[in-house]
Amino acid sequence: MSITGFNHPGRGVGIRDHQLILPSVVCSTHISRKIATQVSAITFAHQNGCAIIGQDVSGIDNFFIALANHPNVQSTLVVSLGCETTQGPELLPKIDQKQSDLLVIQDSGGAAATYEKGVELATNLRSANPSTKATLDKLIVGLDISGSMDTDQLQKALTDANFQVEVATDNSTANLANLMRAKAHLIISFPDENQPPTGLPLIPVINIASNSPLHTALINEFDLPNNFEVNQLLELINQVANGQKTKSELSGIGEIIAPRLVRST
Amino acid sequence: MLTGYQRATGKWGFRNHVLILPLHQMLSAIARDIESSAPGCVAVSHDWAQLPEKDQDRILHTISGVPANPNLFVTIALRLGTPIEGQLLQMARAKGATNIIEVSLSEEKSLNQLRDTTNKIALEQLALAAKQERTPAPISAINLGLECGGSDAYSGITANPALGVASDKLVEQGATSILAETMEILGAEHLLAKRAITRQIGQQIIDVVTRYEKSITYEGIDIRGAQPSRGNIEGGLSTLEEKSLGAAKKAGNAQFTGVLEFADQPTAAGLYFMDTPGHDIEQLTAFASAGVNITVFTTGRGTPTGSAVMPTIKIATNTEMAIALADLIDMNSGTISDGTQSLEENGMQIYDLIIKVANGQLTKAEIGGHHEFNLSRLYGSTL
Repeated sequence: MSITGFNHPGRGVGIRDHQLILPSVVCSTHISRKIATQVSAITFAHQNGCAIIGQDVSGIDNFFIALANHPNVQSTLVVSLGCETTQGPELLPKIDQKQSDLLVIQDSGGAAATYEKGVELATNLRSANPSTKATLDKLIVGLDISGSMDTDQLQKALTDANFQVEVATDNSTANLANLMRAKAHLIISFPDENQPPTGLPLIPVINIASNSPLHTALINEFDLPNNFEVNQLLELINQVANGQKTKSELSGIGEIIAPRLVRST
Repeated sequence: MLTGYQRATGKWGFRNHVLILPLHQMLSAIARDIESSAPGCVAVSHDWAQLPEKDQDRILHTISGVPANPNLFVTIALRLGTPIEGQLLQMARAKGATNIIEVSLSEEKSLNQLRDTTNKIALEQLALAAKQERTPAPISAINLGLECGGSDAYSGITANPALGVASDKLVEQGATSILAETMEILGAEHLLAKRAITRQIGQQIIDVVTRYEKSITYEGIDIRGAQPSRGNIEGGLSTLEEKSLGAAKKAGNAQFTGVLEFADQPTAAGLYFMDTPGHDIEQLTAFASAGVNITVFTTGRGTPTGSAVMPTIKIATNTEMAIALADLIDMNSGTISDGTQSLEENGMQIYDLIIKVANGQLTKAEIGGHHEFNLSRLYGSTL
């Protein structure tokens, strides 16, 4: 099985070539979304970066850095407000600087000017750093398991197929964050029977259905049914790793959620 | 003259929004899609996944209040089809939401079908909303939210006391006004307690602040180490107490008629204190859920944020920022420290702007399409 991905200097070989518009604070999420829509980048809404305390200060910082340095990322534009706790100018040096840039709303003359400057910076980050194709030696596959599912056989099959396997077993929100931190190129998710299929803008997710009424009703939104064959999954992994979009990539669902340990101030 | 839309509950709204409300984080993307495909709709995104968590009751309370906000013509609720969503919508109806249309993913069978059906309903509802006309409203129709964010050394001497002038006048005329952000009255609570109409309500203000401090020290954190924020300090604020004394000025000099728990609706007119985080968007969300129909947000450093539900008026505390970030700011109170306007004059200018915006003038945050929406949790999101 051969996987051709994208060489992202400093970040590794990824199976997607995403540009990330990273709002360092909730206040810059909307302008980030506008920039991202214009340049076909990915971004996310969140409530972090300000009024955070204790372990969350470094926790959120590290989450943002892990996102920005994920191998599926081609370049990162940090969009900061300017007076928040997670300061963009301090975040930037912790990210691969060769293909990253920073924009501060309070220093840019307001919303419209920030948007225009953001589109320009993002476009430059793309054109100045054209991605080249590269062979991926070891695909990192994340397993998002909720509940007490026996995955020994599956893990063995994935390992035998020469994949590195990372497993997360808390709940779906924390799992996706942990698998992202583990630099999973691709995630296989078994959503809880009362949960919908899941998605993560940065990382393709293969959703596998259960037999629950909800999943049965939504079977067309899952990539594989409950009674899938392992070979079917391996073949799908190969296709997705080589660029085929998953169901949730096509539908566009999925948020990026940073786990929080402490209340906001 | 003030005009608005009177709802079946008797409450008044100043906007006639069609809101797309996802009841699961995975439906947020669909809500955003509809906002683009059916221009005029407003949508929110959030991170609630209906998973068991310690804050479940707080989250249900927060989301269920939103459809009852009188600024909404209708709420189109995007469901998976789970029982907990039924519980949430029942709570919303009990709070006064009379117009909710449910679209369920289980019934639509696919996200594409859900998107198509919702889009069709949204376009129909926008046409119906456009047919409704404003009628004359009393000043008591105003349910004002008081907010500050990105404060600086000018906040407590310009925009906040000027907003206090406007708030006092509105309360005197029978409106409702809500001060919030518990962290930002810490150190000033004794002064606010003295202004309560009864000793008991004064004690409630003190108790809310004490409870807040405990909830933070429980985490092993001294709040005074994290506040004022770095941005506040760069703006010239020295201590949390200084920030609080300035923040409390937004509520003017009127007496406090009550204390509200997070996202609770006030039951009568008057000035209230609500227990919310200082986090700007968690507070805005609490206001939207409590039925606030217009918010004034003072800022020293400048911030673009707004609400899908309430017009949010931004007042600059200083002229330099008001000029530098002109497309984020609706009005300048820096004229007070510049010496070109008195506090009273500037306060009345805020009062007039509140009436104009209530009557339909768009705020900068509305023009920019700012619909930030965050759920407040007292515990971690992964517990």
